[in-house]
Amino acid sequence: MVFRPFRTSLLVLALLIPAALGAVVLFLAIYAGDAFTFNGLRFIFGTVWDLGNLYGNPVTVRGVSVPLGAHYGVLVFIIGTLLSSFIAILIALPLSVGCAIFLAEQVPEKFRPVLAMLVELVAVVPSVVFGLWGVAVLVPFIAKDIGPALSATLGFLPFFAGGDTGSGYGLLAASMVLALMITPIIATTLLDALLQVPRENREAAFALGATHFEVVSKAMMPMVRTTLVGGVVLALGRALGETMAVLMVSGGAINILPHNIYSPVSTIASFIVSQLDSAEQDPTNMAIKSLAEIALVLFVITLAVNAGARLFTTGVANVRNAK
Amino acid sequence: MHFKKKLSRSNLLRGGVAALALAAATSMATIARADTVTLVETGSSLLYPLFNIWVPAFTTAHPGIQLTTTSTGSGAGIAESIKGLVQIGASDAYLSDGMVAKNPNMLSIPLAISAQSINYNLPGLDGHHLKLSGPVLAGIYSGSITKWNDPKIQAMNPGVALPDHVIIPIHRVDGSGDTFIFSQYLDKSTPSWHNSVGYGTSISWPAVQGGLGANGNPGMVSAASQNPYSIAYIGVSFKSEIAKAGLGTAELKNASGDFVMLTHKTVSAAAAARVGKTPKDERISLVFAKGAEAYPIINYEYAIINTSQPDAGTAKAVRTFLTWALTTGNEYKYVSQVNFLPLPPAVVSLSKAQIARVQ
Repeated sequence: MVFRPFRTSLLVLALLIPAALGAVVLFLAIYAGDAFTFNGLRFIFGTVWDLGNLYGNPVTVRGVSVPLGAHYGVLVFIIGTLLSSFIAILIALPLSVGCAIFLAEQVPEKFRPVLAMLVELVAVVPSVVFGLWGVAVLVPFIAKDIGPALSATLGFLPFFAGGDTGSGYGLLAASMVLALMITPIIATTLLDALLQVPRENREAAFALGATHFEVVSKAMMPMVRTTLVGGVVLALGRALGETMAVLMVSGGAINILPHNIYSPVSTIASFIVSQLDSAEQDPTNMAIKSLAEIALVLFVITLAVNAGARLFTTGVANVRNAK
Repeated sequence: MHFKKKLSRSNLLRGGVAALALAAATSMATIARADTVTLVETGSSLLYPLFNIWVPAFTTAHPGIQLTTTSTGSGAGIAESIKGLVQIGASDAYLSDGMVAKNPNMLSIPLAISAQSINYNLPGLDGHHLKLSGPVLAGIYSGSITKWNDPKIQAMNPGVALPDHVIIPIHRVDGSGDTFIFSQYLDKSTPSWHNSVGYGTSISWPAVQGGLGANGNPGMVSAASQNPYSIAYIGVSFKSEIAKAGLGTAELKNASGDFVMLTHKTVSAAAAARVGKTPKDERISLVFAKGAEAYPIINYEYAIINTSQPDAGTAKAVRTFLTWALTTGNEYKYVSQVNFLPLPPAVVSLSKAQIARVQ
């Protein structure tokens, strides 16, 4: 066998990234080891998170040393994470599709780069800025106007009902801030794809007498569907892992599941940040180990969502090809 | 179009590189002054305003020592000081027995006395101070008292027109010394709270429909001011922000059964009751002290210090700063700016004995 330095070095570099990812997961899993033993399945299905008495003497439970009364259940945070990201996508999708189509179809070529850059700029705004805007502007707006209006118009739906629409902090605020952060991600991916649609396809559709709406919806959108799903997956990745902005507007729920769209929630990422300080004061380290275990849960969720979306796209493509 | 986009990106990149280079050059210049010792402080957001007042005065008196302060949280102050990332960790809570057993080198040294107010956003009360007790607050925060006109609240406040409205209890989501002393007040005054929730810098808040979490003392103030009918616990160094937000302050029931307002006099009375009991390692709760005048939620603000510093120069600088903080820094003109109280002389000498152990 011939030694090929160029090829080998490329291979090593290419393997470094998955290796780093694997190492992070592996070390988290090893570090969280005792937490798996102590928590068991109650970790996923429990709704009570209690660090226990950090100022008392630790006790030994199931062979590991933990603070008295410690109980780690993360269902509240899993549900908060999935719900806030899902609603954010629901809000962001129509906005970003409309934005991309507008930029691709309606804006004169001269202005397009400027407007596209403005949309991209939204994507680079640090999340803490969105959080601050959320606290100062969005939360009072939801409390005074959006919440009561939603409750009045959509109150017949179970998740929108509720005479009291709360304080503004909560699931709706978190989802709206997330939606704003991910809209440019989906919009710019989609815009690039729309601009790649061959001119012939558009013009052929127009020549067949299609209206502008039909050209976009029937000749262009089907060609960019895969890219659109790719953009949504990217956006979901950002939404699931977003920390600071969510922490600032979500209302920081603990031990309580959201009962409507105005309820306070916590997401996994924001909860890890909020608990880290106190967890570090646990002399048995079980709190930190349990936080490592939640981090693994977040990783699995992100992976599952991504894989699911990919399977869905290839599935759609296969079905269409079979036709 | 694509070309233009690339161009603007590379401009951005170049700008970023230039900024980085500038930052690097500045920090190099700082390091280059080899004769100065740099100390870093991090931790409690309640102590942060006081450190900001202390630093200019201290560095003028001791030009050889540079002190950097950051506001993170009591938990971070403790953790980073133990890891040796900072020389001074600031915390509203003392180290637990477990932490001391695990890290015998770590000292909890009081620097000043702080207090906490219970604030509420109740429209139509016209500056009247509500009277509240530990068991009532425990009821509000555990969901057994849900409305402002609850008989238990009304009984303490005869003649006050309390609204028939749901209470919104606000708690801290981050690890916090304020949560520590607030939950200690509930723990010591209410057996059912003691048996179920207990105290700590982060506690397992009972599920209360409509309850809210806020981040940091600034977050507590803004959440309370934005939510009519809410209640919150806020550190006394945020007194002017509380006043600006128009929040009411409650009179609290103390261990002797009297309702007291948060003033210098009541905080001093509470401190006086507990100072004599302060042990050598100074890890003691000042919450719920006995005495008719004693305000129930006060605490020592701690510096969390490692006895073995990396070198003699650093150790000397740490001792110099802490000694200065306990003498000149404890003068009323400094601590009163953040509504803290100076340490009583007996505690100062205990603290000085601990400082001598830093080598």
